[in-house]
Amino acid sequence: MTWKRVCKVTDVPENTLKKFTVDDVTLVIANYGGGFRAIPPLCPHMEEPLEESGVIANCALTCTKHLWSWDLNSLDMLGETERPLRCYEVKLENGDILAFIDKEHVYEFEDEDDLADDDFFSKA
Amino acid sequence: MKITVETNSGVFDFECGATDKLLYAGLTRGLTLPYECATGTCGTCRGRIMQGSAHIDWDQAPGFAELKRDKGDVLMCQARPSSNCVVRVPARVVARPECDTLPQHRTAYIDVLRKLTRDVIHFELALSHPMSFEAGQFVVLEAPEVKGARAYSMVNFGREVDRLVFVIKQKTGGAFSDWLFRNDVAGRTVNVFGPLGRATFHPEEGKNILCIAGGSGIAGMLSIIERAAREGYFRDHTGHVFFGVRTLEDGFYLSELCDYAAQAEGRLEVTLALSHEQAPAAVHPKFPHIRLMDGLVADAAQQAMSGRYDNMVGFVAGPPIMVDGALRILIREARLPPQFVRYDKFT
Repeated sequence: MTWKRVCKVTDVPENTLKKFTVDDVTLVIANYGGGFRAIPPLCPHMEEPLEESGVIANCALTCTKHLWSWDLNSLDMLGETERPLRCYEVKLENGDILAFIDKEHVYEFEDEDDLADDDFFSKA
Repeated sequence: MKITVETNSGVFDFECGATDKLLYAGLTRGLTLPYECATGTCGTCRGRIMQGSAHIDWDQAPGFAELKRDKGDVLMCQARPSSNCVVRVPARVVARPECDTLPQHRTAYIDVLRKLTRDVIHFELALSHPMSFEAGQFVVLEAPEVKGARAYSMVNFGREVDRLVFVIKQKTGGAFSDWLFRNDVAGRTVNVFGPLGRATFHPEEGKNILCIAGGSGIAGMLSIIERAAREGYFRDHTGHVFFGVRTLEDGFYLSELCDYAAQAEGRLEVTLALSHEQAPAAVHPKFPHIRLMDGLVADAAQQAMSGRYDNMVGFVAGPPIMVDGALRILIREARLPPQFVRYDKFT
């Protein structure tokens, strides 16, 4: 089992983001009112730290640096956003938030792996 | 030289001369290459040169901070090709059809220079050939005597205009502004590339207008307000302008803003926010339609606008730290969808 306890439900108030590290994996818990998402700590656009740059309103997470935005319920990309938000699966148990962490989700910011990746051109 | 850009939405070819920049050459051909400042500071126009080589104009550009230069990453706004190049651009790019607002290189001479405050100059450029651009756009200026390029928003807008109007603030160590302030530069030639920028006003969207500007960031706002006023937009919509300066003495274009507010009969509110002194009164002593507030302009806007964000488009321009603060307010407090928040960051 790789469900890991991240924090208490009450640790992340509605419409806020908070960063946690669980077994060397850093992630951000987002409370969008309708539920919680567990996401990598950096914006997939230009590596902004979402705990600081991210704002949640109307169920959407927006990185205020360049206004990339995602619907946290449907995970749809909003506006001019060009990359999907990656998520760890989340469940709530006895007032705790648990995330399914089998491996760390890391966005590839134009490193060799990304360029070798066959779907480099198909993410539009 | 032939430049091939491989993007997330297809491969495009264009020609780029040895003296042109990859970004500018691509934009001239109508490609929607990613950029924000177009002058090396923001890092948005990153690309990776997979084949070929390029000369980098400003090697110390702050925009390089996040780039992997050992892997061939460049800022396309700083790269001039020295051979045919294949460049990967991690963004969705499309080719816009030929139209009169595609950016181009032009030359211009400095025609009018007028000091507005101790550190703000109004100046006008007479263009070599006319330009069409939207309210809220900017151009990049280069003077042969000054190293580097600077981006400035136009105060005016229009179709086939032969004159660009700007306002600039003198910055300590700002080579271009020092050049404008210290020398008798009337009649000198500058290179102009543009129009650029997507922080534009579209009356057909039918939105109320909120402008938050710091210092010379007011330039683009003036063009937006002028366009709205000319079209009678404030008969059916409201406008709110928050203009941040340090002291009462640092305000400029106040007579224009005051006139627009007077014409709009209460539907355009203009507020001057003073960050470095206490406002002497609730309204400006000389301009009765301009309200005064204390504090940082984004805070003033937040305080004054609370609960009044209905059906709004927000425009923000100014120093990066001010813009970042204002964007947070427009997303978090005003709950504007990102497509109705438009900004320019000047560094």
